[in-house]
Amino acid sequence: MAQKEKLFMEACKKKFKEDPTDMSTKYYCYGGWKQSKSKVEFQKSAEAIAKERGFPMMNEDIGVPLGQRSWMPYQLSHTDIFAEADDLHCVNNPAMQQAWDDIRRTVLVGLNSPHETIEKRLGKEVTPETINNYLEIVNHTMPGGAVVQEHMAEVNPALVYDSYVKVFTGDDELADELDSRFLIDINKLFPKDQAEQLKKAVGKNLMQAVRVPTIVGRLMDGGTVSRHAAMQISMAFISAYKLAAGEAAIADFAYSAKHLSINMGTMMPARRARGPNEPGGIPFGFLADMTQSDRVYPDDPGRAALEAVALGAAVYDQIYLGGYMSGGVGFTQYATAAYTDNILEDYVYYAIDRIKDKYGGFCKLDPNNMDELMKLGDDVNTYALSMYEKYPAIMETHFGGSQRSTVAAAATGIAGAMATGIADCGVNSWYLSMLQHKERTGRLGFYGFDLQDQCGSANSFAYRSDEGLPMELRGPNYPNYAMNVGHMSGYTGIPKAAHVARGDAYTANPFIRVAFADPSLIFDFANITKEFGRGALREFKPAGERTAVIKG
Amino acid sequence: MAYKRQFYPGATTPAVNRRRYMDPKVNLKKLRDVSMDDVVRIMGHRNPGEDYKTIHAPLDENPYETLCPIRALVKPIEGAKSGDRIRYIQFTDSVYFAPISPYQRAWMYLSRYRGIDTGTLSGRQIIEVRERDLEVLAKEMIDNETFDPALTGIRGATVHGHACRLDENGLMFDGWQRYVWDDSKKEVVYVKDQVALPLDRKISVGKPASMSDLQKRTTIFRADGVDMRDDKEVSMYGLRIHKLRTLGGYQPFKVKGV
Repeated sequence: MAQKEKLFMEACKKKFKEDPTDMSTKYYCYGGWKQSKSKVEFQKSAEAIAKERGFPMMNEDIGVPLGQRSWMPYQLSHTDIFAEADDLHCVNNPAMQQAWDDIRRTVLVGLNSPHETIEKRLGKEVTPETINNYLEIVNHTMPGGAVVQEHMAEVNPALVYDSYVKVFTGDDELADELDSRFLIDINKLFPKDQAEQLKKAVGKNLMQAVRVPTIVGRLMDGGTVSRHAAMQISMAFISAYKLAAGEAAIADFAYSAKHLSINMGTMMPARRARGPNEPGGIPFGFLADMTQSDRVYPDDPGRAALEAVALGAAVYDQIYLGGYMSGGVGFTQYATAAYTDNILEDYVYYAIDRIKDKYGGFCKLDPNNMDELMKLGDDVNTYALSMYEKYPAIMETHFGGSQRSTVAAAATGIAGAMATGIADCGVNSWYLSMLQHKERTGRLGFYGFDLQDQCGSANSFAYRSDEGLPMELRGPNYPNYAMNVGHMSGYTGIPKAAHVARGDAYTANPFIRVAFADPSLIFDFANITKEFGRGALREFKPAGERTAVIKG
Repeated sequence: MAYKRQFYPGATTPAVNRRRYMDPKVNLKKLRDVSMDDVVRIMGHRNPGEDYKTIHAPLDENPYETLCPIRALVKPIEGAKSGDRIRYIQFTDSVYFAPISPYQRAWMYLSRYRGIDTGTLSGRQIIEVRERDLEVLAKEMIDNETFDPALTGIRGATVHGHACRLDENGLMFDGWQRYVWDDSKKEVVYVKDQVALPLDRKISVGKPASMSDLQKRTTIFRADGVDMRDDKEVSMYGLRIHKLRTLGGYQPFKVKGV
């Protein structure tokens, strides 16, 4: 049987002139940093800034001589976009920032409770017509419009065009009666089987997907999002239902908006000092639900897992751990390994083929059969590690052991999750990969791997607080994962893999799943690597810019 | 019966080498003799002949020494007795059949030396120890069979290169080019110290080994050498550890016959 073309070949051939199996190359002869377009641009820009401000700025000639090797471009996985590593740095990439902005500025606020207040406590009627009227008003207030006081300063709409409120429900009859402009239509956006599952899970709840302006999240923080939403929702109720601004019942609206809402991220402990809706508090299962690949490409579960990996890499590894927790120049090179050059793609699709060959399809491996789970893990992990050994081009592409460890473990974890349909089996397989990797090569990742990856087998199935959690509910805030740089991408892919393999419409939260199907979001959560690529190519237009109020 | 250390499982070449390197009773083969002064120059912590800098008074001049029960239990190494600084040597080991790799370095050091602190990463391994003891250790490690001039690098900072392809002379990549190929002698020479400060003169560390020789000396399992799955005992050992840890943390009552 002819051997399949490896999925990373296109990237390898673009990166290096030698054959991907060659162990030799030339170094120190490529002209240093000048071979990189972005470094040349940076140097020119820094020189101009230094001249303008009268003292030195960045200088590519300081420190280790960059560009001693051939400067590699990176292919955004499952796209035809190639980019320089600099353009995948989260500070340079507006698409990555917008992915995070769109998450942070979202809060889901139920309408059932305030409607009960209006009907039962205030004795007023709620009908589809009053709801539609409310929605028109709240789409005025949420961006920063005034409705109650006569002499209010308002927000310039050109700065906050991305802010709005839409609703969704599992009740088709109610949905039919709502103004379709404000509706996230589950039936239209999801494949039929997914739509049925989601409608059943959402039920008769009428849920608002509130999008606070991007600029508000940036100026304040994630913790302010539910407050901003609560204030503007309360104002909209006062106006829509002609209520008294001072009556006690109004507090119920604010209360329900603040405390009966679903934040994207939970509070973090004081030592990490972040409010809700900050990235460290987002459970992996929530981020997996935000990933929309399986809605648009339902026949490609591999892509769904890989897109979740990509989102996890940017939000958790690059922005949270690289920025919030570490600071400085960050972890771009480390994190991009998981979503560039189709290397993890190759390993994951190998795993999918093996699962189909060995077990006849997904979720057919008994999760109680640990010996067989280990056999599968051994198979996929050995494949991944041997690819690095047989193709020095990809070994050099992932020139840090942490990159290889994450990618091999992600493939192995995704395999375990897809074969069993259980995310915890996936994370257990992840740790098998880590132990085997260390034994095989005599090396793994950075110092931190010595803790989390060598004790992880022991907590992979534990549910007791402080020892474990179902993988869907673990996140960067899980005790043992606080410093797992590079791991978060793979961790996000594992629960996603388990649930797409099962044919589930959602991983952890059906409301979040529906909210991120909304086509009015600035970032397209169904095409994550493509969006990052557009950001790298400087084609992505983010929200939250201030140019509307800057002359010139 | 007294417990006999086994060091590492397996019967394949990498497994046997792991055992040899870890076992302090095995005298590692000396393949070269880089002078102590040159070792000191490459490390760059002091100049040859210069006094050792101290961070505390010699222990035998410390009036509180007799009050410390730990001191009574642990015999200090020479550098500790003298109050030396703690300094380091850091080796980078190529994935292309370097004789040893970072985890085996840690295991070997901990098995063979006292008074050391190691740190293990994917490409490099740092060992920190009192300066005069470090120099003895460093010379042994540069002279012996765990070092190859082409595939082992001595690097304080900017250490990556372990996973890069080899250059046209078979040398591991180094962003600082601390060592270069001397084509006239067919040897590798250091032109910069550990942190890439230029040396006053070139220091030869000798001729690289052939790939066939390296494959006999390596501790690394690879698909194009000895695959780990070809060593049944090593494979079984890894799987067993994972299974026991998994069950121990989840259903310890299922662990039987350990």
